Amino acid sequence: MRKLSFGRAINEALDQEMGRDDKVFVIGEDVAQMGGDFGVTQGLWKKYGEKRVKNTPLSEAAILGIANGAAMAGLRPVAEIMFADFITECYDQLVNNSAKVHFMFNGTVTCPLVVRTVNGAGFHAAYHHSQTPEAWFLNVPGLYMVAPSTPYEAKGLLIASIRNDNPVIFLEHKLLYDMEGEVSEEPYTVEIGKAKVKKEGKDATIITSQRMVYLALEVAEELSKEGIQLEVIDLRTLFPFDKDTIFDSIAKTGRVILINEAPKTGNYVNEISQTINEEMFEFLKAPIKRITGLDTPTAFAPKLENYYLPGKKDIIEEVKEIVEY
Amino acid sequence: MNLSKRVLKELYYNMVLIRDFEDMVDKYAKKGYIPGFIHLSTGQEACQAGVMLTLKETDYKFPDHRSHGVCLLSGTPKERVLAEIFAKKTGISGGRGGSMHILDIKCRNMGFNAIQGANMVTCLGTAFASQYNNTQDVTAVFCGDGTIGRGEVHEGMNIAAKWKLPIIYVLVNNEYAISTRVESVHSYPKNLSDRAWGYCIPNEVIDGNDVIAVYKASAKAVKRARDGEGPTVLELLTYRWQGMFSGDPAAYRPKDEVKIWKEKRCPIKRLREKMISDKIFSAEEVDELNKQSLEEIEGMLKYAIESPEPEPQDALKYIYAGKEVEGR
Repeated sequence: MRKLSFGRAINEALDQEMGRDDKVFVIGEDVAQMGGDFGVTQGLWKKYGEKRVKNTPLSEAAILGIANGAAMAGLRPVAEIMFADFITECYDQLVNNSAKVHFMFNGTVTCPLVVRTVNGAGFHAAYHHSQTPEAWFLNVPGLYMVAPSTPYEAKGLLIASIRNDNPVIFLEHKLLYDMEGEVSEEPYTVEIGKAKVKKEGKDATIITSQRMVYLALEVAEELSKEGIQLEVIDLRTLFPFDKDTIFDSIAKTGRVILINEAPKTGNYVNEISQTINEEMFEFLKAPIKRITGLDTPTAFAPKLENYYLPGKKDIIEEVKEIVEY
Repeated sequence: MNLSKRVLKELYYNMVLIRDFEDMVDKYAKKGYIPGFIHLSTGQEACQAGVMLTLKETDYKFPDHRSHGVCLLSGTPKERVLAEIFAKKTGISGGRGGSMHILDIKCRNMGFNAIQGANMVTCLGTAFASQYNNTQDVTAVFCGDGTIGRGEVHEGMNIAAKWKLPIIYVLVNNEYAISTRVESVHSYPKNLSDRAWGYCIPNEVIDGNDVIAVYKASAKAVKRARDGEGPTVLELLTYRWQGMFSGDPAAYRPKDEVKIWKEKRCPIKRLREKMISDKIFSAEEVDELNKQSLEEIEGMLKYAIESPEPEPQDALKYIYAGKEVEGR
């Protein structure tokens, strides 16, 4: 199969959906001629014109305001927020408007919009360009949150998100953009709400997403040499998360490690942990462990940033602890 | 431009209906029929009636939180507006929103967003959709003087002007944001709406208690927007007779000030006197309109009181399109 980078796979999804449905439009900062800060919307302005690829000033609240109003009026906006950290500037529109439109209108109006945004540490970009915002949105009914880890899933999940009638926050990890992978040329969808077992194993389950999937797979590879068989689940959709796939795995392994880049306190994975505790307690052979960023902002200097991020060593230690528990 | 007898009659009737509606809501709130906050627009009827008569049902409306009148005049069955305020299942949103969130997509009442200022950017989206779909529908967004402090106003006006979006900003300046007088916290040239100059948006400052002036200015702004010439800010100078909410004693306002607005600047009394002195209507004809309004209110009230409350499980509906949410 043909190979594409993660960024080009997203670009192809946008192009194909804009070609299929003239209600789809792209809006954001520098998305037109320049093609986006990370080049993801390149070529769309030339192909679809100024009407459907809208450059805005630095006005994130207005970007989401336009997306909300246009979605309520029947269009299907795909808004780009250049860095997930900037989402605080349009947080009100997402939390108090997008998420509640369907409810407010008693089911007579939907809010089909996608917010694409760039998250994640490891780029030495410091605390305002490195955060992972899942937890900021977890407590908001009405939103979907999607976070792919491969080019194939990025394309399929973005097409599914654009076709979904609900507001979807679509997270793109900045360190994955150049990663290449096999991607079908024709349009296709990957179902929202379904996780994927990326490696099968019987001794413990690692549940994670985005860039941390690769770290987990590396650890699984290394530990298999020591006879420890790890199962690795890529969540793909963060909210609502796929309980069935998670529970099936725990029924088999009885041990769980959750990995996420954001700070530990109030981390997104805590919700998964509590759900497992309530519904799968009798299958557990060891305490649920989480490996997260530290309770600090993400620092700039590579040595400081690396110390903040979960590393292979941290994961190996925790795995050994619960396997021997 | 002299207004026709039909237009004058509608303006008068609609103002009386809003006044009677608000008086009735205030009375029933105090009797305990209505839960939650109620923001009454008594005294500001001309702002709502004047603008609404210049709009079509296909135009998008974003009321502000003191806009029962806008909702009544949007085209929604009026009894369902009241039922929503009464927290009933038959309310236009099934009792999900109440007084602050009366919305109806059928007549493009996009609802008040109870976070002040939020609609100042959401309104860009409906106006953009009109432009995108090449229709002539305009978007009218109402806000109070307090809202002008929000950043969204500025993000919104900049883009509205640059993209020539068909928007009519209806800035209802009633001098107070809860207890805070507008000039005590805002820096502006002569008028609050003069800030629009910074975005190359024309503004017009109008006596908001003169319904004929409001109607004429709004008609001009609507035409400008429909013709593709972009947004206008209408600043309507008015005053709320009640406190911030039903039951607020509003001790922060001088008693004399309230008295002057009530006795000397009532928008309804003013139009009534003009209609009669210009010999367009007889006093009896006008009295008949007042009577009709009260009868219409009686009908709404009966419907709202007799309607059932929502079922508790209705709270689980319409969180997501196409997905159920678990209950208790």
